Amino acid sequence: MKNDKAARIIEKAVKKGRKALSEYESKQLLAAYGIPITKEILLKDKDGLARATERIGFPLVMKGCSADIAHKTEKGLIYVDIRTVSEAKKAYREVMAGMEGFEGGVLVQEMVKGRRELVMGLTRDPQFGPCVMFGLGGIFTEILRDVSFRRAPLEDYDAREMMKEIKGHKILDAVRGMEAADEKRLTEMLISIGRIGLENPDVMEIDLNPVILSGARPVVVDALVVLK
Amino acid sequence: MPEERKHRGNRGNNRFPDTDFERIFHPASIAILGVSSDENSVGFGTGMLRVLKEMGFAGRIYPVNPSGGSVLGLKIYSRMEDIPERVDFAVIAVTAKLVPQALEDCLRSGVAGAEILSSGFGELGTQEGRQLEDQIREITARGIRVVGPNCFGIYCPRSGLTMLPGQDLSRESGNVAFLAQSGGMASDFAHAGEWMGIRFSKMVSFGNGADLREAELLNYLARDHETEVISMYIEGIKDGDVFFRELKAAAARKPVIIFKGGLSAAGARSVASHTASMGGSGLIWSSVLKQTGAVQVFDTQELMQASAAFSLLPKKSFRNIAVIGGGGAIGVAACDIAERHGMEIPPLASDIRERIEAILPRPGSSALNPVDVANPLVAPSILKEVLMNAAQDERIDLQIIVSLFFHYNPYALMFGVPIAEIVPYKELVEVVGDVINKTGKPVVAVLPNARRGPRNMDITGLIALARQEYVQRGIPVFDELHEAIRAIAHVNTYYGRRENEKR
Repeated sequence: MKNDKAARIIEKAVKKGRKALSEYESKQLLAAYGIPITKEILLKDKDGLARATERIGFPLVMKGCSADIAHKTEKGLIYVDIRTVSEAKKAYREVMAGMEGFEGGVLVQEMVKGRRELVMGLTRDPQFGPCVMFGLGGIFTEILRDVSFRRAPLEDYDAREMMKEIKGHKILDAVRGMEAADEKRLTEMLISIGRIGLENPDVMEIDLNPVILSGARPVVVDALVVLK
Repeated sequence: MPEERKHRGNRGNNRFPDTDFERIFHPASIAILGVSSDENSVGFGTGMLRVLKEMGFAGRIYPVNPSGGSVLGLKIYSRMEDIPERVDFAVIAVTAKLVPQALEDCLRSGVAGAEILSSGFGELGTQEGRQLEDQIREITARGIRVVGPNCFGIYCPRSGLTMLPGQDLSRESGNVAFLAQSGGMASDFAHAGEWMGIRFSKMVSFGNGADLREAELLNYLARDHETEVISMYIEGIKDGDVFFRELKAAAARKPVIIFKGGLSAAGARSVASHTASMGGSGLIWSSVLKQTGAVQVFDTQELMQASAAFSLLPKKSFRNIAVIGGGGAIGVAACDIAERHGMEIPPLASDIRERIEAILPRPGSSALNPVDVANPLVAPSILKEVLMNAAQDERIDLQIIVSLFFHYNPYALMFGVPIAEIVPYKELVEVVGDVINKTGKPVVAVLPNARRGPRNMDITGLIALARQEYVQRGIPVFDELHEAIRAIAHVNTYYGRRENEKR
């Protein structure tokens, strides 16, 4: 059973000959599969800024959003902890300038607080097809490479095992005054990522990094979907 | 299950073609295509004829060669159709370009399956080679099954089918099946099995795997009542989907141990996302194997050792272990290794400890666990008491006895007798067998040897003899303690998962 909303998002991008979904589109795709994402609004012009900041609420994050810009941090197109309307206006101008004419807009996003960052993703193995990844997120993903994989479709057991399998699995427990992560939710997310891969052959890779634990609750804060 | 009793191949299973594997693994008659009338020929056909006779293959053998004649007292048939009965299995050893016709002849004569030993097919990478292999595939689609080409074929101790060279392989049937593309690996495993105490149900080296290969053979072995443990060496697989499905199904029924070779080469894919660059074939393979419930090992030795443990130990996990003998340092190392593998060497209950202390020589001994017996010359009768007592600790699931036989060397020199005469290895093995029977708890033997040089060939010989005593009783024996513990850990991983799922 195909997910129509997801299929439409992908189809639109494929028709335009794009190789990736923008962060906003990626998250819409995730949301269509029930994966929790940040509350966010995509602005195409500055008229909607006041309304957007009101709806999202301070403090917030503003990012350049384009399918052509995969790694925003390196481009300096992310402004975090914006607390006032004037800060928001300034960030808007700077992000738009930094976009250098790339097609896209400015993403106004809730600022998710949490000290624990995870990564989830999907890769297509030439032999085994779509495989789901789980691991430590943020800058630690590349430094520690503490990740595990399971081939899609995942069963509940597989998702739980892959979480236990990383060396840093204790980060999911109740540690240093932080709540234990909502494992049921994490399990559902991993299973859903596998489903996205199985049901959408045009999706080649998915990168959800970071997935921040806001208290017990995991939220996808940044997302990249690479297309065929 | 009646399906298993009948020991038929894939009947009632629409995933793979209907195949009568009984006629392939236990044929009543074999045709060998490509036998020379010169019995000193070094060709594969003549070689296979010779080794089948030496193995004592009980069925009828029909050599085939258009030139006719006779060899080793057997008439050579010019054509398949001249053979006076329907042949079950064929060995094809003619030159590559004649293979399609030979296979076609076998098909027409109602042969169930053929192993093609000849090379010169897809493995060459030439167009001609690939075309010949395609022809083989096309013929198999019409109702004959093929092992190979470019393989060593099937070894089946019960029927006496064997690989080349394999005239001296064991005829004793066992519970381990082995699959590999590589003939060399299969042959080595078959020979190593003998001294490691592994007996085989079936072994298949399928070379290029033009027809029968990993997934279908897994499907068959999973249902084969002769096979309790499946062991595999894999380089490449044909279809990830089918392989995954069959492996998962097989591992749900019996342990499947896999050594995947060639994990390092495939890492260099250019990718856009972090996730893909994290993957790489090694990590994905490990994950997939875990997901299916198969056991992954990383070298040939580990594969064989794990196979021995699965084959010979009871079908359960062993978390708490007693280690007897070996001396202080080995004991300390044992604890570390055990912990690394998720096992424990817990202190024995105090009353049991007291009883063991009363038996052991003093000073220098310790009954704590690991039990340090103070010196390597402790008599088997005393070791028996130690083992019997330690087994009474209800926490202990399994015992390991470490015997440092090489320490008898100075005494052999002193008394001027061969070391095999003063080491009471036969008595010890008998005692260990007794303990297993009486306590119902398994004992695993470890026979390290610090003296392996040419000056001490007698010790190497002694250890081989002691090993043989153990394996004849079906007691697992390893060279090193860490190998024993690692092999047991694999058993724990497999059965531990099932025990967890049941809970």
